[in-house]
Amino acid sequence: MSTFADIIHLLTETPIFFVAIIGLTWGILGGALPGISASITMALVLPFTYTMDPAQAIALLACVYIGAEYGGSIPAILIRTPGTNSSAATVIDGYEMNRQGRAGEALGISLMSGVVGSLFGLAMLILLTEPLSWLALAFTPASYFGLGILGLSVISSMSSGSLLKGLAAAVVGLMISTVGTDPISGVTRFTFDIPDLLGGIEPVLVMVGLFALTELMSQSGSLNTLKLNASIRIKLPSLALMNKLKRSQFIGCILGLFEGLTPGGGGSIAAFMSYNEARRWSKTPQLFGKGSEEGVAAPETANNTVASTAMIPLLSFGIPSSNSTAVLLGGLLMHGLIPGPRLFEQSAQVIDSIYVGSFIAIIAQIGIGILILPACIWLVNRPRYYRSGFIFALILSGIYTLNNSTFDLGIALMLGLVGYLMRMTRFPVLPMILGVVLGHMVESSYRRSLVLSGGDLRIFLEDPISLGLLSLAFIFIFFSLVREFREARKAKLKEVHS
Amino acid sequence: MNKDLLSGVVLMAVAGTYYAWSTQIADSTLSDEIGAGGLPQVLAIILAILGFCLAGRALLSMKLNSATVNEAKDDDDEEDRNAPFPRAVGFLLFGAAYVLLLPLIGYVIATALLIAAIAIYEGAPRTWVVPAAAIGGGVLYWAIFVKLLGVNQPVGSLFQGLFS
Repeated sequence: MSTFADIIHLLTETPIFFVAIIGLTWGILGGALPGISASITMALVLPFTYTMDPAQAIALLACVYIGAEYGGSIPAILIRTPGTNSSAATVIDGYEMNRQGRAGEALGISLMSGVVGSLFGLAMLILLTEPLSWLALAFTPASYFGLGILGLSVISSMSSGSLLKGLAAAVVGLMISTVGTDPISGVTRFTFDIPDLLGGIEPVLVMVGLFALTELMSQSGSLNTLKLNASIRIKLPSLALMNKLKRSQFIGCILGLFEGLTPGGGGSIAAFMSYNEARRWSKTPQLFGKGSEEGVAAPETANNTVASTAMIPLLSFGIPSSNSTAVLLGGLLMHGLIPGPRLFEQSAQVIDSIYVGSFIAIIAQIGIGILILPACIWLVNRPRYYRSGFIFALILSGIYTLNNSTFDLGIALMLGLVGYLMRMTRFPVLPMILGVVLGHMVESSYRRSLVLSGGDLRIFLEDPISLGLLSLAFIFIFFSLVREFREARKAKLKEVHS
Repeated sequence: MNKDLLSGVVLMAVAGTYYAWSTQIADSTLSDEIGAGGLPQVLAIILAILGFCLAGRALLSMKLNSATVNEAKDDDDEEDRNAPFPRAVGFLLFGAAYVLLLPLIGYVIATALLIAAIAIYEGAPRTWVVPAAAIGGGVLYWAIFVKLLGVNQPVGSLFQGLFS
């Protein structure tokens, strides 16, 4: 972070306040819609950021992420349907509280625990990101290549499905990134004389296609059985109750920090782990599952903490650890911002905007969260057949905004089909998106390294950072293989016994 | 055919096609030792190997009738949660029709038609609400994108001048 004066300037001279509020509102509304995850909510808004000032655009995306994490808890508590994956753990006690006529109280605990978790996460983001990025100042092109390979390996091995499928998806993503003009020689590749392909396939199209369109296609024809009680209002917890919840919120903060830093960790794991740990350390563990306030506070603190701490590896090293941070990375790249340490050197204002925008969004979440609940309930209660049509039209309108090109629409639709087929065959989409996003960095670093070394591949082993990162990538892949073999053997043994 | 086996075969086919295309990438005097086609060829080979391993593992599992049986069951579970393929593709075809009609009939009408078509496809009762929501949606998005955000959405060659 630069100086305090810069932050004051950001608050007073640019509309960061409005950006934060719009992002937060959009995030809560999107997160509240079952089936629309935080990453999809972010992907939907991504095309609109294209023409924005980079600092505001990235702050907007960060605020959408924060809002979506809270928004997901609304249907989780009210209709036992998590709005986002990371609010699944909130269903257990949140819905039980709703059944006991304490829905407003559960929503209030969720809101305030989210604020606590987000503030803690933001503090960690500010404290840890810049010191970590200093490490990356020593990075050479070979190191960046190692970093890219590590990111792809970790996400491929941590994604759902098999390692082979994860790696294949990452390679296909890298292949997509090679479409367009070669970064070194300027030669065109895989463009088939189509002018629209000269600039390559933009990551935003891949994200919108694979996340949002695939989700709409997959939901097609499903029944609309959701109905929220429109009279519910949020009841904020008293100081005494907040005092009672501090233990579970502390657990949520710590596990949220840990999972946010772990590639592939994410809010869902953090939320469930926090729920379990909160029950273990609770004075009233018997109440868990029966409408415990701590059972709502712990997972909500954890998943909101992750929304900030997941940005630490992204901003420090350019490695996104989840779908949502991958979209954020797409936003950075769309604005020509190089993720990793260079971001702190060349675009300090972007970093400041993320910090300031996030802080405003977190504080505003208390008021907006209360005010927007009726709108969320109204939106969730709309028939799904109208919702799908409006969301589909919004997606296509947003994509057209990028380059005023119907060609982009065609590409996004094709990628929607690809995403659907990947879902059917259980291929993870995140490695593919990362392949597209990191492709340029991986290729240009690889080739620049070889130019520097005169074509000698040993440069990747002689550079200590590159060696370390590539070794880590190898270890991740090796242990994933071992895990897969073990699971296959276990499945076989189980079948033999049965 | 087992899904993993099919996926492996498709990946190998994609790798082969991509490799063939990559050999046609032109050389440049500005190019480095690797060249513009260097990485694509490496990627094609890696994908072919991964596809081969996936197909091989599927074949082996089918032969042993072990892990893949469980995986196939999981696949079916996953499939149950998704719309059937024809239905999903049908949904996408409305988007394709939108792409074709957009330059012709313009943004407002194309958007309204898309909303109405999707609503009916997804099971909305055929009442006055469908056209009302569609027209409202078309006008709302036009107001947001064209008037508020200043995006030049197509006016439509058939209705040139009406919404400009």
